[in-house]
Amino acid sequence: MVELLAPAGSIEMVEATVANGANALYVGPKGWSRRRDAYELSDEALREAVRIAHARGVKVRAAVNTHPTSQELPRLLRRMEVWVRDGIDGVILSDVGVMAAVHRTFPDLTIHASIGANILNDEDICFYREIGVRQVVADTKLSLKELRSRREIEVGVEVLIHANKCYTYLGKCWMSPYHRLERGQDESGKDLFKGSPNRGGLDYRVCLEAWSLLRGNHDPWADRVALKNDAFFLLEDVPHLIDMGVHTLKIQGREYAVDLIGRMIKFYRDLIDTYSADPHDFDLGPWKARLARIQAQRDLERAKGTLDLFQEAREAVQGCQR
Amino acid sequence: MNRAFELNTGISNMKDLMASDLGPYDAVYLGNPFCRDYEANFLERLEDLRAGIRHCRGAGRKVYLTTYAAPRNYFLPQIRRAIAVAAEEGVDAVEAHNLGVVRILHAEFPGLAIHIGGFANVYTDTGAAVLRDYGAARVTPNYELSLEEIEGMAENTGLELEILLHGKMPLGISDYCFLLEYEKVWGMKCPDLCQQDLYLRQGEWAMKSVGKGVLSGRDICMLEHLPRLVAAGFRSFRVEAISEDPVYRRDIGQVYQEALEHTVSGAYQILGDWWKRIQGHAKVGLCNGFHFGQSGQLYIGSQPSAGFGETSASSVEPLSRTVGSQLKVIS
Repeated sequence: MVELLAPAGSIEMVEATVANGANALYVGPKGWSRRRDAYELSDEALREAVRIAHARGVKVRAAVNTHPTSQELPRLLRRMEVWVRDGIDGVILSDVGVMAAVHRTFPDLTIHASIGANILNDEDICFYREIGVRQVVADTKLSLKELRSRREIEVGVEVLIHANKCYTYLGKCWMSPYHRLERGQDESGKDLFKGSPNRGGLDYRVCLEAWSLLRGNHDPWADRVALKNDAFFLLEDVPHLIDMGVHTLKIQGREYAVDLIGRMIKFYRDLIDTYSADPHDFDLGPWKARLARIQAQRDLERAKGTLDLFQEAREAVQGCQR
Repeated sequence: MNRAFELNTGISNMKDLMASDLGPYDAVYLGNPFCRDYEANFLERLEDLRAGIRHCRGAGRKVYLTTYAAPRNYFLPQIRRAIAVAAEEGVDAVEAHNLGVVRILHAEFPGLAIHIGGFANVYTDTGAAVLRDYGAARVTPNYELSLEEIEGMAENTGLELEILLHGKMPLGISDYCFLLEYEKVWGMKCPDLCQQDLYLRQGEWAMKSVGKGVLSGRDICMLEHLPRLVAAGFRSFRVEAISEDPVYRRDIGQVYQEALEHTVSGAYQILGDWWKRIQGHAKVGLCNGFHFGQSGQLYIGSQPSAGFGETSASSVEPLSRTVGSQLKVIS
């Protein structure tokens, strides 16, 4: 049975995702993941998340899906020792150096290559497998045909069924920190890079602004240029993905409201179970209407979040906060 | 040429190569890493690639092949063919931005030197070390690293690192070209669209668009900081001019060739009209990228006019502020 992987940006979200049928969830240890710290968990909360999840047979992954500084690696490995002792089942990583070091230090820990690793072809997958990765998150731009070839390679494949499809390839973009980067440290001395998602800070989503296009920087060619960037829910593809044997269907959204994430998980749990029980008599019709209601709430939350980020992106850089 | 440093640049096709003065450069990267449809891309025109390699060789330059920054499965056969031609012609190295391509080079072309490109996301010393084990001879660290971090990487790995010295810093790459939506409106088609010197503007923000590629609006400029770079032991420098015309490539190259010669001989100084020439080509202004740990579009240095920034198209006044107690930032 395909695994349904849920986000958990708080203990309340851990409870909601477990209650609504997730098979696994991922949490961001404070300071080390690709989200604002409000949606990351302290070590104590992470321990509690593991306790709640394991009590219901749900696995927990720690998302350390950023590129730390080189000097931080020993600190990261010490922290990981704590998370492993507390019972995490796997870790989501982006940096090849971190992957190699974690694999050397914790050879039994399952390493998932994050979507931030931007794995685009079969040779990529072989590279990551050789350095210790057991499961990869497929880039959102890959087609079903491209995903199908992954079956030939002995590695688990994870597909995002709710996420955002950026204009650029995720992990290969530094538009946000080009416009605003704020360096700092948290109370433990961890380096923070507000504005750089690759380095663990928030993303100001500057690509979503309404841009003008000028030839030679003076001759106006177009107004309100949109760099294509869509948040999406997969629906029609889910049965195909299950049939293809992908290992995990993943939902993004640690920053969304708990009740919205709970509804998303419930929706996909029901969809997966219904299809799996009777694939031949499955009708997508009723599911479309139900998903439309969830999507409307998601769109509202996302739009508000984006406007807040635009405003924040224009603030002068000062102090050292994240 | 056999100098104490290497100044290199990138050129996409034969037309640009023939129109470019290679005089200031020690080495050239051939190929456009952003798009397979870029006009007569060396990576797709293998006879042109062969001729281009020979042309550079004949001019006494080192020659490298670059490869696509975001290759999907269906790119790989053509990448293999291009590498094979490059290997036959005896290129000095192949640049890979994708770790799958690194693996291909390591396994299938064991005699070829591998350069790791800026899109490969080398952020850590351990990451660089992993790639050294896959045969990397040179690494361009991710553009987000500060000079302090890059210096540490050089010391801790012993790898040769390439530094972005001047030009448009890559900010992202897509599989989709939004310029195609404007073919009818502008009466212009691919592959001419992305060669129109197009800038995305939003108030004081600016980025350059080459369709699938997004570049910094401002030109990275490290002219003032050459003594630090040379003192740190860096000797491989890139003028990122893949989206620029041959005049830009020549003028900027000449400035840095002279400046580097002065710097390595211990007589660093900024001469004559260097600033004027640099500023004349920087339509939005200058910046330092992430080299000093700040927002990429800022310029830090002692030249008050270096971040002159806005041109006549902008309605936004340059913003000045002070960072720390020493440095003036003009953004």
